[in-house]
Amino acid sequence: MSHNVVDRRRINGPQRSVEPVYTTKVLDPFATGRLDERALDQVRPIFIKTGPLDAQSLSAAAPSGSAYYEQGKIRVSCAIYGPRQGRKSNARMGSFDCDFKYAPFSCSWKRSHMKTSDEKEIALMLEHSIAPAIRLESYPKASIDAFVTVIESDGKAATIAAAINCISAALADAGIELYDSVAACSMALHGEQWVSDCSQAEENASTCSLLVARMPSADEITYLLQHGKTTPEQTQQAIQTCANDCTRVYAVICRYLQATLE
Amino acid sequence: MASLILSPAEQDYIIRGVESGFRADGRGSLDRREVSLRTGMISQANGSARCRIGNLGVGTDVLVGVKAEVNSWTPGEAEDVGSIVCNVECSPSAAQEFEGRGAEEINVELTQLLDRILNGPQSGLDLKKLCIIPKQAYWVLHIDALVLDVKGSIIDTLVWATRAALMSTSLPRVVVETIGDEMGNMQAEFDVVDDPEDLTPLEGAENLPISVTFSQIGKRYVVDASEQEEAVTQARLTVAVSPAMEICAIQKGGMLRGFPPSLLTEILETAQRIAREELTRFKTHYDNAKSHFTSQADEPSTGSTFLVQF
Repeated sequence: MSHNVVDRRRINGPQRSVEPVYTTKVLDPFATGRLDERALDQVRPIFIKTGPLDAQSLSAAAPSGSAYYEQGKIRVSCAIYGPRQGRKSNARMGSFDCDFKYAPFSCSWKRSHMKTSDEKEIALMLEHSIAPAIRLESYPKASIDAFVTVIESDGKAATIAAAINCISAALADAGIELYDSVAACSMALHGEQWVSDCSQAEENASTCSLLVARMPSADEITYLLQHGKTTPEQTQQAIQTCANDCTRVYAVICRYLQATLE
Repeated sequence: MASLILSPAEQDYIIRGVESGFRADGRGSLDRREVSLRTGMISQANGSARCRIGNLGVGTDVLVGVKAEVNSWTPGEAEDVGSIVCNVECSPSAAQEFEGRGAEEINVELTQLLDRILNGPQSGLDLKKLCIIPKQAYWVLHIDALVLDVKGSIIDTLVWATRAALMSTSLPRVVVETIGDEMGNMQAEFDVVDDPEDLTPLEGAENLPISVTFSQIGKRYVVDASEQEEAVTQARLTVAVSPAMEICAIQKGGMLRGFPPSLLTEILETAQRIAREELTRFKTHYDNAKSHFTSQADEPSTGSTFLVQF
């Protein structure tokens, strides 16, 4: 009698249990060229749209500019608020603050709702890479804030680069005075070969990653980050290649922004 | 990084000075300040060091303690390596703006930078040696840095102190026993030897990189910027270089400007040369600190010796 009683509040598992299958082999994403058959120095296709968030309401809370950016699987959105009243009432220059958040479902593992220290650091990186492009001296006592949300991420360095490109487009949409747009690109070292714009699987298999943000018209490198070990020659070469990739990304952003004006 | 307010005249004086190769304290643009280094002053830690760049009271002062802990492996972690956890805290006694939550941003920046230099094969440490039994137990090195005073060039001081602390770190010996039960299953067990004399130094600590931080001021740059120079710094670049002259990490900081590519190339080349000099200088200071420590080992350590040692 007793074995017929079923606990209905509990989700009853299947009768038979099977041991899970573990993957023991480390897959080499470069074994036969790249996973998505790109060339080694090819950046994933880019999609940009400015103003997806500003048109939704005419209330005072609407952002002054926004952008949505896709690069392969990476999806990033950014909203710009400001120039608005800053915290310091006597500041000679405006301030630029950035807020960066991975959506909990954006990575292969679940991200926390709380802001983690790596998100805080990425926010700082974004400030350092974008702020040199903004004419902050023409916004005294004001603050400009960027809020970046990663909807989907694929490769850490590539996601940060995408966030930089997204903020650049959103700043232009908000009509903030800029010296130049900032374009960013990442690379990873696999063996002796630098590979542009790596996905997560490719990044996991690499020994070093490099991120370059650049203002191509002003010819200034606004951000540089290397994580991992290389020879000085490799670094120099990578900065050069990455700077060229930035110019190509920059062309895409500019072409889009010009098209929105027509 | 501490925000010191300078008048436009003072700023202009520093910028023009740097552009023509002079600095307010008489140094050349690539000269570093005096360093004092002490190791092993914290008995409860597995390794410790205190480093000060500049003179007493007008220098940057960082205290680093390394504490090792055995952690049990949980699924999802790497199977056969140990781990390093960094934490940097800027004391409110160092600068007024570190009070309350003011130090939060700089703490995060320094912690992540240290983590980027140390956590991974680029550090030169063999993390596999920190594994006790694969998929069972491993060592975690907690590197906790306390910034006691800030007068410019905080990153380089931090890396000096951390490097010295890790080089003076020694771990207790661990005995691993493999026991087979009646079913023929082998099971490994370990025991940490509780003998303060039976210690093994951390392997590969002498391969740790050293960092050189460049501050762009006007059209030129300086290394080891003072507090005043940092107030006019437009952009900062930290390059970590290993003793084998490999570049282990690069990070840019500073909100005001970027680097022209030609300057960047020049900085990367200079970084190697300075890193080589700094490594020799580090070795002299570290050996000094080591001998000083052993000669005083039989004296009772009190609060005043902690101060006097410095």
